[in-house]
Amino acid sequence: MLNKYFFYKKNIELKWMIILPVLVLLSISLITLYSTKSSISLIESNFFKQCIFVLFGFIIFYILQYVRNVFFYEMAYVFYFILLILLIITLFMPSKFGASRWILVGPIRFQPSEFGKIIIVFTLSKFLADYKNNINDWKLIPFTLLIASFPAILIFKQPDLGTSIIFPAVTFPMLLWAGVRPFHLFVVISPILSIIAAFNLKLFYSWMFVLILVIFLSQPKVKNGIVLFIINLFFGTLSSFLWNNLYAHQRNRILTFLDPTSDPLGAGYQIIQSITAIGSGGFLGKGFGQGSQTHLRFLPVRDSDFIISVIGEEFGFILIFIVFATFYFLLYNIINSSSKLNNKFGSFALIGFVSTIFFHVIINMGMVVSLFPVTGLPLPFISYGGTFLLTMIAIISIINNIISSDIEV
Amino acid sequence: MQNFNYKRKSTILIMNFFIGIFFFILLIKYFQIQILNHQKYVNKSRRNSIRQVIQKAPRGIIYDRNGIAIVDNRPIFDLQLIPEDVNKNFDYHLFSSITEIDSNSVKLKVFNKKNNINKFKPITIKRHLSYIEMSRLNENLLSFPGMLFSELPARVYPNNCKLSHTLGYLREVNEQQISIENSVYKYGDIIGTAGIEKQYEDVLRGIDGVEFHMVDKFGRDHGIIDDEIKYNKKSGSSIQLTIDSDLQLFCEELMYGKNGALITMNPISGEIISIVSSPQFDLNSFIGPIPFSTWNNWNRDKSKPLNNRVINGYYSPGSIFKLVTAAMILENPSINHNEKINCSGNYKYYDVDMNCWNLDGHGDVNLNEAIKYSCNVYFYKLIQEFNLDDLFNMSEKMGFNKKTNIDLPNESSGIIPDKKYMNQKYTSRGWAFGNLLNFVIGQGEVITTPIQIAQFMNIIATKGETKEPKLLLNSKSKNIKVNLNDNSWKFIQQSLEDVVNQKGGTGLNTKIDKGGIVSGKTGTVENPPNEPHSWFAGYLKTEENDLLSLAIIVENGGKGSATATPMAKRVFEKYVSIKQ
Repeated sequence: MLNKYFFYKKNIELKWMIILPVLVLLSISLITLYSTKSSISLIESNFFKQCIFVLFGFIIFYILQYVRNVFFYEMAYVFYFILLILLIITLFMPSKFGASRWILVGPIRFQPSEFGKIIIVFTLSKFLADYKNNINDWKLIPFTLLIASFPAILIFKQPDLGTSIIFPAVTFPMLLWAGVRPFHLFVVISPILSIIAAFNLKLFYSWMFVLILVIFLSQPKVKNGIVLFIINLFFGTLSSFLWNNLYAHQRNRILTFLDPTSDPLGAGYQIIQSITAIGSGGFLGKGFGQGSQTHLRFLPVRDSDFIISVIGEEFGFILIFIVFATFYFLLYNIINSSSKLNNKFGSFALIGFVSTIFFHVIINMGMVVSLFPVTGLPLPFISYGGTFLLTMIAIISIINNIISSDIEV
Repeated sequence: MQNFNYKRKSTILIMNFFIGIFFFILLIKYFQIQILNHQKYVNKSRRNSIRQVIQKAPRGIIYDRNGIAIVDNRPIFDLQLIPEDVNKNFDYHLFSSITEIDSNSVKLKVFNKKNNINKFKPITIKRHLSYIEMSRLNENLLSFPGMLFSELPARVYPNNCKLSHTLGYLREVNEQQISIENSVYKYGDIIGTAGIEKQYEDVLRGIDGVEFHMVDKFGRDHGIIDDEIKYNKKSGSSIQLTIDSDLQLFCEELMYGKNGALITMNPISGEIISIVSSPQFDLNSFIGPIPFSTWNNWNRDKSKPLNNRVINGYYSPGSIFKLVTAAMILENPSINHNEKINCSGNYKYYDVDMNCWNLDGHGDVNLNEAIKYSCNVYFYKLIQEFNLDDLFNMSEKMGFNKKTNIDLPNESSGIIPDKKYMNQKYTSRGWAFGNLLNFVIGQGEVITTPIQIAQFMNIIATKGETKEPKLLLNSKSKNIKVNLNDNSWKFIQQSLEDVVNQKGGTGLNTKIDKGGIVSGKTGTVENPPNEPHSWFAGYLKTEENDLLSLAIIVENGGKGSATATPMAKRVFEKYVSIKQ
């Protein structure tokens, strides 16, 4: 039985094309955290804690190499239900910073929503691997979205908007991978985009233009095209109704996103300070430990969500570019590997993980320069934070495992 | 399977394109912020985090002529708490036992600010900590998280002598002083408002330094930025006064409880050795700039402690003024000053009865005797040979009716009436020669200040070759030249010596037994219905030919010979003992 799920003897094969960029990103993380530790003693510093997490991550990486993929495949739904139960428990946990995201077991504190990022990919991968040839697009889309939405809603309730977005977001690339027509996915996404775009009239017009262009290029039946357009118009007008039903702090967040300078000492403060820090870094940056913005704590949560501002200020555009290049190199290699896999479940999982990493990167790096609203998503491998780092290393370990032991399941 | 792989290839293209596009857009945004708008954000980040911190420069120290500090600086400390940093480890019980401030009121102050936007701004709990309080608080530093001391410079007066009027005091600058063009003052600065502190403000004032500190968004200080320009503070220059603090203290104690003034000077150099205006105010009774309430109380006090009687006290000179007429007599060749004139104790000028102070009369007196006994009638009679202009001109020659130019602010010039003055006061028909009889004995409209009387003694002691009075040691002061015949000077000097040293002289109480010879003149200023003011002015010539002039007035002290003379004697004796 155990032999079915675990390897007893194995030569661990490291896929350097995937491991190497991760090591580069981890190095950048530790250098940056060392720079911001300033006068705090080493033991108390985030740098030291992150070093411990990295070492712990290596152990997890090693252990996961001994787990057969079939274990994840067969246990996916079980994990999924455990996740739901844990998320429900989380809601009843005492809150911290106005949110209850953690489960406390003695001295250990962990965030089920982080591990949930892995579980949702397994669950969707199993579902798609099992059914992708048996049911058509129109049924595949609502089923997968339904699977993603249960944990997403529970996480949204914590409240943790950023993480809850990730769950439905990863389903779309996976559906695309499953062969669902891009136009069908577009039909599902477009009403949501209509609502968002309607906050700004110019943006809404541009969006309508894109919508017409896509409908025209995709050449659906005339009737369907017109219906899609009208539905989108309807959702656009729904915006103002939704707006009136938002809480003040939610509205505030949207307004601040649209114009951070409107509230320089309140909600827009983080963004203004973050952009100032990044901008003042220039091409080469102010140098190691020289970031006045970050060191003087003008930047809140500088070690976690806003760590890219520290990098931008102290190491400049050059390192920002390297970070982007490294992520692109990593994502490209994973996608490339997944296309060569015979293991359908593994192939879907890889695409799911690529999406997870990708969405984290663009939302985080967009958020610090005001391209996206502040949602509180950390930057993979770089941001400080134990559970998140371990999740990301676990993902890399599983990817490595899937690629190096490609057996069809 | 083939189909699946083909489809995968186009999907891979879409995905890579998607990732690429998003990364590209983000990269452009970073490029725009970091490269295109770089300078804008550099400026912004500087504004964000740099603050000017003023380093208060200490004022110059004031020393006496022997290098003993009379005015010094001492930093004083206020006790402050930063509400945000005060946590549950704060020992309120210990805190209140050291500072003697009710712990509940401290708690209330802190908690009111804790959730406030100013929670990082220090709040002052107690002003002007004592040394003991501060060291006890420092010992228990760990029990008081969030505690800090804010330093401000203040004056201290380490010497026992007060010298209050001369030193003056400091006040906070007012709106007007700041708003002057090119004003060096800013809000919260202190400025010398009286006395030496005002006179030598430019010398004593230091130049505040400026440091550029890093501050975070809460205003917390993170220290100096090295690569920024730094202006070092420059302490004010110290000054040395001509005052001998030993003699000064002696004179102050002598004048204690009396109203009046006492000055001693070196006639040759014009240096002021001691200077007392009584009553004094206590500069040590407050810390830092003078509080408004204290100043107000002094200002309302009937004995006028804020009034510097030495330079602003308006007193009739009394009989001392007879010496001016004596000089006029001596300089007039047609008058024989040895000719005796009878004093019967009474003089009738037309229908006015004028008395000598000795109602029994002095008998036949010449000029020397008239000075020695301070006979009024002799001068009543001889002034007939002169007119008002003569008296006015000689008075001005002797330094009256004008400022002595002592280096203190707001000196008064006294009054010697001339025709214009009298016409203005009484109209041209309202006054007559008879008024002169009053002036000649130093009464009536003749007003002098004690410093003028002291200078008058300088002129006599040096035969008219003295210098303007000064308080700043080693500074230049203008020469004063009074031209009289050498014989006239000798005669006046001899007469003054006789006043003190010969039997029947009014200044006999001032005679000292050893160390030198005192010369001088008494004066009594009628002040009905109160007791008359008591004057003595003179000089000491020590055995080493050292000179010390002196002027003393004691308000309501009775006759000059009664109160002022023995006091003058003690000062001279003290000076002799210091010299030895």
